Amino acid sequence: MLVIFGASGDLTRRKLFPALYALAMRHMLPERFAVLGTARSPMSTKEFRQAMEEAVREHGRVEFKQEIWDELVSATHYVPIEFEHDPGQDHLAEKLNELDKEHGTEGNRLYYLAVPPNAIAMLVREIGERRATDGWARLIVEKPFGRDLASARRLNEEIGRHFDENEIFRIDHYLGKETVQNMLALRFANGIFEPLWSRQYVDHVQITVAESIGIEGRAAFYEQAGASRDVFQNHLLQLVALTAMEPPIDFDADAIRNEKSKVLRATEVDAVVRGQYGRGYIEGKEVPGYREEEGVDPESMTETFVAAELRLDTWRWADTPFYVRTGKRLARRETTIAIQFKRVPQSLFAQSDGLRPNVLAIHVQPDEGVSLGIGAKVPGQGMTVRTVNMDFVYGGAFRTGLPEAYERLILDAMRGDPTLFTRADEIEEQWRIVDSIHARWAGQTSDFPNYDAGTWGPEAADELITRDRRSWRRH
Amino acid sequence: MSVAEQSEWTGRDVTILEIERELAQLRSESMHLRTSMMTHLAWAPPEWQDAARETLAGLAELHPSRTILLFPQEGGRDALDADVALECYSLPEVERNVCSEVIELRLHGSLANSPVSVVLPLVLPDLPVFLRWRGRPAFGRPAFEQLVDVVDRLVVDSREWDDVLSCYPELVPYFERVAISDIVWGRTLRWRRTIAELWPAIREAAALHIRGPLPEATLLRGWLASRLGRHIALRHELAEHVELLGIDGHEVIAREERTSASDLLSNELDRFSRDEVYERAVAAAKA
Repeated sequence: MLVIFGASGDLTRRKLFPALYALAMRHMLPERFAVLGTARSPMSTKEFRQAMEEAVREHGRVEFKQEIWDELVSATHYVPIEFEHDPGQDHLAEKLNELDKEHGTEGNRLYYLAVPPNAIAMLVREIGERRATDGWARLIVEKPFGRDLASARRLNEEIGRHFDENEIFRIDHYLGKETVQNMLALRFANGIFEPLWSRQYVDHVQITVAESIGIEGRAAFYEQAGASRDVFQNHLLQLVALTAMEPPIDFDADAIRNEKSKVLRATEVDAVVRGQYGRGYIEGKEVPGYREEEGVDPESMTETFVAAELRLDTWRWADTPFYVRTGKRLARRETTIAIQFKRVPQSLFAQSDGLRPNVLAIHVQPDEGVSLGIGAKVPGQGMTVRTVNMDFVYGGAFRTGLPEAYERLILDAMRGDPTLFTRADEIEEQWRIVDSIHARWAGQTSDFPNYDAGTWGPEAADELITRDRRSWRRH
Repeated sequence: MSVAEQSEWTGRDVTILEIERELAQLRSESMHLRTSMMTHLAWAPPEWQDAARETLAGLAELHPSRTILLFPQEGGRDALDADVALECYSLPEVERNVCSEVIELRLHGSLANSPVSVVLPLVLPDLPVFLRWRGRPAFGRPAFEQLVDVVDRLVVDSREWDDVLSCYPELVPYFERVAISDIVWGRTLRWRRTIAELWPAIREAAALHIRGPLPEATLLRGWLASRLGRHIALRHELAEHVELLGIDGHEVIAREERTSASDLLSNELDRFSRDEVYERAVAAAKA
């Protein structure tokens, strides 16, 4: 039984139900399965089903087929409750027992907490106190998990009172993306890359998580979070960990998470800059600055951009900087991990001004795939060499659509596989890194806004990398 | 090579996200390799659109790239219309095809004044970006100024300008911002080679007589003046091609070469760095 708390919210509508429908379409849902949505919003099961059908039709990645939906919707229920009141929770528990009998789910529960961060601890307590004695219980917790190291530790402790670590699934949907998982395949299934994957051959690594959208009506959340908590703390640092980790001894969840955790423990911030967008142009249309967005303080000092130079104190990566950046209202939507290799020691080709260092780029989105920039001779007389990109494009190689991250992650949680979820120690290390950034910023003022919407961030971000005689990847 | 396979999609009033999705969809329907050397932008006002398409027809085979044709449509509502095509070319002696992407964007209303924010999301990362600007450069106008700052090379054809003599001086300040190629400069190559072979006899050259297009005549005079470091007088007679070239009364005979518009553009797309000889020729033409 999948129990979604916060079922009337945007996440359920845009991601969770479309993912469940896609799983149903692929016949990946268990035979004995039910969904119970719950939230404060008064709504009948009929109304909830209608709303979810509209959501699937609008946001689903696969074709809508009535017979598939009919099957899923017959196992979909809704119950409105006040989470913080015992009678409400008791009513929920009764409803779950009733549905267990109806759908044969035998007390197995997957609780999905799609609720604001401040509701998580209370909900975990309420759920924990009413855990079914039959079947298994697992908990999916959405980000943000805490707002600093101290609060994340408290939350881990609170959850730990009621659930074992192997029952807790802290979701970072980036890890559910096929292209992110492909990083593991690329590194550990190909003999040619791993020997080059170190300070000996890699000049530096660049990771970009760029969004062209603004805050999309999430001012209340974003004002408190900023780019450092919204993306840097989770998606971006997880990408760093996947890129830099040592080979695990096997593909067991803890073996992988152990290696990621080691990377995060070894990560320090050498330099960091922040930015906030002003007015500018996105897709040819003028967009407001952050401080002009509805619900944002006109004097807001919340950062919408972070760029940092990270130092990884490991044998493999010593003296190899990881330049990372994330922000909103940037020039394009792009998530890429780029491994820039060292230049050849001597340039033999006079006519090679079109030649750039080899870059292996893992494109998480858009253009999902991998590209390798190599120097190739231009056909004809002479010896002119220029860089050509060889592209492995996911869409062209495998004739199947890429599943959405939530499809993979919900299914993994149902199966009890936590490989693609973040462990408590990883979360805490990520907050330690972000706390160190906030400590640097404490007492500093910034001249916000300091970049125009539709650009690649503030000039200081360029200075951060050009002082090392390097530059951000182009465009 | 000819187009072996072509898939297309057309959208009206679209977003970049929709274009990205459709590109991905077109690729997913093709099993062929995508190889890219650059992003090729072409800015083509209405009167240049057909010419821009024709030139590109012969180009993609030589320079596999993502080509983005920008067609500004001044006035009207703010909207972006797109035609997206995946063109695959068969490779000789192998079973595979190589594919290039061609994106035609019609920029309506104010989008024509802020093309960079439309183009940047679609540019291929890590590869050079060439901009072919059709017609007279719109010096000082937002579209031109924005694009110049994000491309690696600007390619113009001064034969497309009505006022060459006033346009060259305006071009000079841009040499510090972007590498520039002029297709006319490529057309003069055979003449420059031939004249250079006359060294040292032309050391004291003082007068040039050219029967041909004004841009060629102007650039050749500027080139010779800048290389010799002396003033060169120009006697110019208008003709469709350079038919006659004389130095101090002696006729110079150059080997005949005919190259297509695609080939001329193709040559410029193989250049990356600034061409200082060209820049000095333009500066001297200005003088």
